[in-house]
Amino acid sequence: MQDKVNYSPLKQYLTVISVISLTALVCSPLANQQGYHIVSFVLLFTISIMAVFLSIGPILLASSLSALLWNFFFIPPYFALHIEKTEDKLMFVSFFIIAMINGALTIRIRRQESLARDREERTNTIFELTRELSNANGIDEILDVACDDLKKYFNARSVFFIRERKNTPEIFERRLEEERLSEVNFEIARWVNRNSTVAGRFTEFYEDTTLTYYPLSGKSVNPGVVAIEFEKAMNDDLKAFWNGYLTQISNALEREHLGELALKARLLGESDKLYKTLFTSISHEFRIPIATIMGASDTLLLANSSDPDRDELLKEISIASTRLNHLVENLLNMSRLESGKISAKPDWCDLNDLINRVSKLLENELEQFKLEIVIPADFPLVRLDFGLMEQVFYNLFLNSSQYTAPGSIINMEACYNDGNLIITVKDNGPGFPVDVIDNAFNKFFKVDTKKAGGLGLGLSIVKGFTEAHNGRVKLENTIPSGAMFTITIPTEIADINLIKSDDE
Amino acid sequence: MMNEGDPILIIDDEIQIRRLLEITLASNGYKTIFAADGRGGLTAAATQHPSLILLDLGLPDIDGINLLVKLREWYVRPVIILSVRNSEDDIIAALDKGANDYLTKPFRSGELLARIRSAIRLTTDKSENTLLEFGSLAIDLTNHVVRKNDEIVKLTATEFSLLTLLARNQGRVLTHQFLLKEVWGYSYLEQTQYLRVFIAALRKKIEDDPAKPELLITESGIGYRFGS
Repeated sequence: MQDKVNYSPLKQYLTVISVISLTALVCSPLANQQGYHIVSFVLLFTISIMAVFLSIGPILLASSLSALLWNFFFIPPYFALHIEKTEDKLMFVSFFIIAMINGALTIRIRRQESLARDREERTNTIFELTRELSNANGIDEILDVACDDLKKYFNARSVFFIRERKNTPEIFERRLEEERLSEVNFEIARWVNRNSTVAGRFTEFYEDTTLTYYPLSGKSVNPGVVAIEFEKAMNDDLKAFWNGYLTQISNALEREHLGELALKARLLGESDKLYKTLFTSISHEFRIPIATIMGASDTLLLANSSDPDRDELLKEISIASTRLNHLVENLLNMSRLESGKISAKPDWCDLNDLINRVSKLLENELEQFKLEIVIPADFPLVRLDFGLMEQVFYNLFLNSSQYTAPGSIINMEACYNDGNLIITVKDNGPGFPVDVIDNAFNKFFKVDTKKAGGLGLGLSIVKGFTEAHNGRVKLENTIPSGAMFTITIPTEIADINLIKSDDE
Repeated sequence: MMNEGDPILIIDDEIQIRRLLEITLASNGYKTIFAADGRGGLTAAATQHPSLILLDLGLPDIDGINLLVKLREWYVRPVIILSVRNSEDDIIAALDKGANDYLTKPFRSGELLARIRSAIRLTTDKSENTLLEFGSLAIDLTNHVVRKNDEIVKLTATEFSLLTLLARNQGRVLTHQFLLKEVWGYSYLEQTQYLRVFIAALRKKIEDDPAKPELLITESGIGYRFGS
């Protein structure tokens, strides 16, 4: 509590003594002319005036001094503390009563005034803090400002724990002042963030710590926790102020978070637009010349010629254009994957049909290989995106044919187990070198970079399209030699016999 | 092969593709006319009575699908889409809007010629032929009998109607939705599992090698086509 009067208590007492003595002295001629009662009124008047400015102690001293002086010097018998008249006795007592009432009233007024001043100051502080927070850009700056403010206004050290991403429980210390924090601090912070409850010192939870942890709760997200080192528990008044300030910090953090989301959305929108433009123009600009080359060589081949060399070259052109087309398709598929454009649209699939179609598409490439397809009779229908899975098996079979010697066996087996479709594709080729097996699904990865054959996108497309089905793909080497891909995709099944029986 | 002398109209803004098509079609006995944009295409279709239209979807002035809708208000002869757009959605949309067939660029010349032949045959062959023959397979529509290598193949009623629907539209893609609607009815539009099971069953009965189907061909994500 701050007093308006800035005099020290000693000064106040000295003032009181001198003012009262002086008043009594000045009044003594008056007492001789008008009677001693007039002196008591002047003294009372003086006390009342002083009560406005001074504290209760000096005022009480003033009353006592006035009463004594008046009694000693003015009331007959003079120079004695004896009072004869009842009215004088009453007057003597009233000095004290009036002084005390005056003092008490003044103190109350002053206290209220000081409360109002405090409130105004806090409002100003909150206003100032809010202004600073709203001027801060970025989470780091907000936390900087908040930390400085906490130091300035609460004289307390503070640590902020902020969730970096909206949907993860992870919490990171973002503004640490000095010493390192232990795991306990994080544990409490996580708990506070999860339960949106105050914990730590002066609370019911985790009270054996030096810090008090407050959740920062916004309207849509809980951005984090602030831990602060208070010397003593807060009173209600300060608590209200503190809560107000916490809300301001939370709002600032939330605003920042929403701003980030909006920015992300805008960037996403822009990349989406860019992707669409690029995708359309690439698919057009590449496919038209390929179509021309492919169509032209085909047409020339269809027209029977008697020149075998010419036909042989035309065939080469045709095969090259097919290969080029496959590369462009894979590049486009990769860019679709990269831009998150792939979403599987599962529909009922006959796995036999799917595999048969792929082996038909790869008829020429697999000509010199032995393709074994093992799908149990009455295998149920599964829900897959036919087009995407076609690409998966196309790339797997093509990969096997490219990295194994002609005559190798490419084996594909399917089974359904516990809600998952499990398909293995294995060959008896050399397998993958152990040191690169983990990188096989990376884009542009090639076992032997010097050897020709593709861009190294096939397997990353296999992985991407499988993951678009919420599935996963695993690569391992087999014994004695060979590579084995295992694709696991969670899917529903439909019993084909049940459907058939609908008809008969 | 010549079709009443009516030309094939090619609506495509790429000159290289137009040249390629002109030569490919001419060497197979077709006359061709061209339009480089949608407006020109509409005019040519109205004035020159083309026997068939090869339509590109990415035209400079009007989207191909919209042009197709406009054409289909009065043009009854076949329209085959020839486009770089290869998404299942685009293809299904074009087939739904009245395209007879859809080929994505790049395409094989042999494939294109086969599609053109079957499209023209489907619209010009008005004879109510009750006996359909495809190599070793014969479908007798009046007596509901199917023979494979002269032996009767036992088919259920559903299998028979699915087979005849596809066979009558030989060479043309029929979408899943269309087949389900025609064979099973409107309430089955989403029940593709029926289609899968019955196509598989039919393949076992009529294909020489069910693992290498030549009659019932899958168009991934779109539908089925009866081989030509």
